[in-house]
Amino acid sequence: MRRVRLPASPRAWPLTVTVPLLVAVLMAMVGAMASYSVLARLTADQELHLRQLAAAHLDALALALQPHVARQDVWETFDILDRVRRGDGGGTIRLLVVTLPDATVLAATDPRLLPVGTSLPPELRERLDPGADLVIDGERGLAWFHRPIGGGAALGHVLTEIDMAPLIAVRWEVLGTLAGVNGGLILLFAAAGYGLVARILRPLGILDQYVERVRTGTAEPIPRRFIAGERNEFGRLFHRFNAMARAVAEREALAARLADEEKLALLGRLASGMAHEVNNPLGGMLTAVDTLKRHGDDAAVRQRSTALLERGLRGIGNVVRAALVAYKEPPGAVATTPEDLDDLRFLIAHEAQRRHVTLAWENRLDGPMPADGAAVRQMTLNLLLNACRASPPGGTVAMTAVALDHGLAVTVQDDGAGLPAEDAELLRGKGAAPLPQGGRGLGLWTVARLLDRVGGGVEVGRGPAGGTRVTVFVPFPDGRRADAAA
Amino acid sequence: MPSRQAPRHDAGGTVPCRRSMLRGLGAAILSALPAMALAVPSDASPLRIGLTPVFLDSDTELLTALERFLTGRLGRPVALVKRRTYQEITTLLLTGQVDAAWICGFPFVQFRDQLSLVAVPVYRGRPLYQSYVIAQTDGPAAGLDGLRGHVHAFSDPDSNSGFLVTRYLLAIMKETPASFFRRSFFTYGHRNVVRAVASGLAQSGSVDGYVWDVMAETEPGLVAGTRVLHRSDWLGFPPIACLAGRRDAPEIRMIGEALLGMPSDPVGRAVLRTLRLDGFVVTAPSLFDPIAAMNDFVRVHA
Repeated sequence: MRRVRLPASPRAWPLTVTVPLLVAVLMAMVGAMASYSVLARLTADQELHLRQLAAAHLDALALALQPHVARQDVWETFDILDRVRRGDGGGTIRLLVVTLPDATVLAATDPRLLPVGTSLPPELRERLDPGADLVIDGERGLAWFHRPIGGGAALGHVLTEIDMAPLIAVRWEVLGTLAGVNGGLILLFAAAGYGLVARILRPLGILDQYVERVRTGTAEPIPRRFIAGERNEFGRLFHRFNAMARAVAEREALAARLADEEKLALLGRLASGMAHEVNNPLGGMLTAVDTLKRHGDDAAVRQRSTALLERGLRGIGNVVRAALVAYKEPPGAVATTPEDLDDLRFLIAHEAQRRHVTLAWENRLDGPMPADGAAVRQMTLNLLLNACRASPPGGTVAMTAVALDHGLAVTVQDDGAGLPAEDAELLRGKGAAPLPQGGRGLGLWTVARLLDRVGGGVEVGRGPAGGTRVTVFVPFPDGRRADAAA
Repeated sequence: MPSRQAPRHDAGGTVPCRRSMLRGLGAAILSALPAMALAVPSDASPLRIGLTPVFLDSDTELLTALERFLTGRLGRPVALVKRRTYQEITTLLLTGQVDAAWICGFPFVQFRDQLSLVAVPVYRGRPLYQSYVIAQTDGPAAGLDGLRGHVHAFSDPDSNSGFLVTRYLLAIMKETPASFFRRSFFTYGHRNVVRAVASGLAQSGSVDGYVWDVMAETEPGLVAGTRVLHRSDWLGFPPIACLAGRRDAPEIRMIGEALLGMPSDPVGRAVLRTLRLDGFVVTAPSLFDPIAAMNDFVRVHA
């Protein structure tokens, strides 16, 4: 099961969590307030009933005791109190005591605590105050109630000490029931809320999933089976998303086609350059062949002619090999070799010559690097072609390739007037910038897309002597160079 | 400070063993008596016999059994008359409102010239019993002198064991209950004296030794809260008495014969078993001379 980790900030929590949580918190507050009201009412009712019951009880008892108290008959008074206490099935009467007007004990249900003829302890004597009707000590769970015996307490008092524990236990029981019921309801509603919100927000999840796919480069429409069940706002949202996804897909397809066309255009330019490179030595080579035919017997002539032929064929061979490597190798190659970059020199040579630009070549790669070779070559070639176009005749285009700890850096510098800001932005846009109109800047846009593919970065700046300096950085996929050589 | 928890005992009832015994007794009487009960003439005036709280008077089943036994034996209705105090029963006897009464030895000696003995119960083989001075089981008193300043429970001012004996013992010490005890009160029942002492209402009490001994069997939980501090000499057991002038009346003779014949009658034996008595005998009034002597001593020295 997947463990969902909630973000630290509650504002970032999903609605499926916050809505049921809010419901639960609100219900808990309502439950707490309701429970408080019920308990307060229960406590008031209990005290009222206790007062009424104790009054009725002690009034009758005071009447029954009156003749015995009048005679100060210890035994009869005790006998009545003792029978009353034993008859108290609830066990709420802890103590019954009859006192004389001087607050001495005539008899008590616990004679060992309150012996006959002794003074009532001050704590209990306070309870006989006419104003002290029902006195409750919540902490000790005790209550006291008293009634005078005879008119105006002429004969004495009867005082009872009542154990509140059963009543307090009832309160706790009620509180427990309330807490249980409220807790159960809160859980139930929270669970139902979670389910309902999750059900309501499910289309949002689907939308999120397909938007995420768009972000990662796959613009897929939401399938019909998801849309069919949604006739509300989500249904409309799905339809709009699908329209947008189709537009994005079309844009992607167009971009890919344009990229292909750019590649073909580049190929065309290179092919003409290559034909020129092949054609250049051909005249000399045909002359050499002709010389061989005629003066082949002369060893010196033969040697010079064959040397010429060999140089010519080698030059043609280099050009052909570079073209083969550049356009036959599938994209996503695992390594970039120093030769991959050196081959580009042959491909760009014609363009440089045509524009009277000098190439300064510094390839400091000392072996295969774990970087996408095709991407690196295509990016470098595009940058070189761009630099040749930008440099004035007689200028210099410099290429420097360096292996770093975590990737390789290729810097192309020209003597041009500088890269326009929008072009620099196009380069930094990782292919997310709108497609250049009219084919202008397509090379730089392609570099940006390739950089995005390999997860690389670009730095655009000015060279020490003016001109533009563009450095692309291609990271090694596993972050280390050592694995590449293996 | 003593515990607030009162000792657990039954204030008004009796322990189950006695109840079950009495139920058995009642059943035996009911099964044995129907013929005799049928023979009782319904129009005859009932014989009235007074009872003082000298014995286990709280047991209505016992009283019913005794009443049925006497009714069956005497062949006429018998009404047992109970009152709260000894004085009330003695007055009823002296004024002829009851034919005979089970009274205490002390009233008997007080009105010796007006009363005559019908029968005396036999307890443990003799028509004698003792008076006990009891104290709380956990109380510190070791002898009679240790009771000084106590709250003391007496049974009845006309009771020999429940008042006279202790008063006599105090008189020997040149004391009276008022001077010796911090406070004293009457409970009008020997069982109540035991309850008062066991509950802590009184620290000591004067009680009929026969009643205390029987309660030790039937209500051991209640009696456990008390201990006997002093036992008196053997004294005449509370007798059944009648007015001296009616001593030879046929109904009085019948009452005496019925009582004397109890051990030979199955129902009578059951009643005696419940009362823990062996039977009844006829004795000379001199049996109560020691009580009379104590009374005289108290009157002189009080």
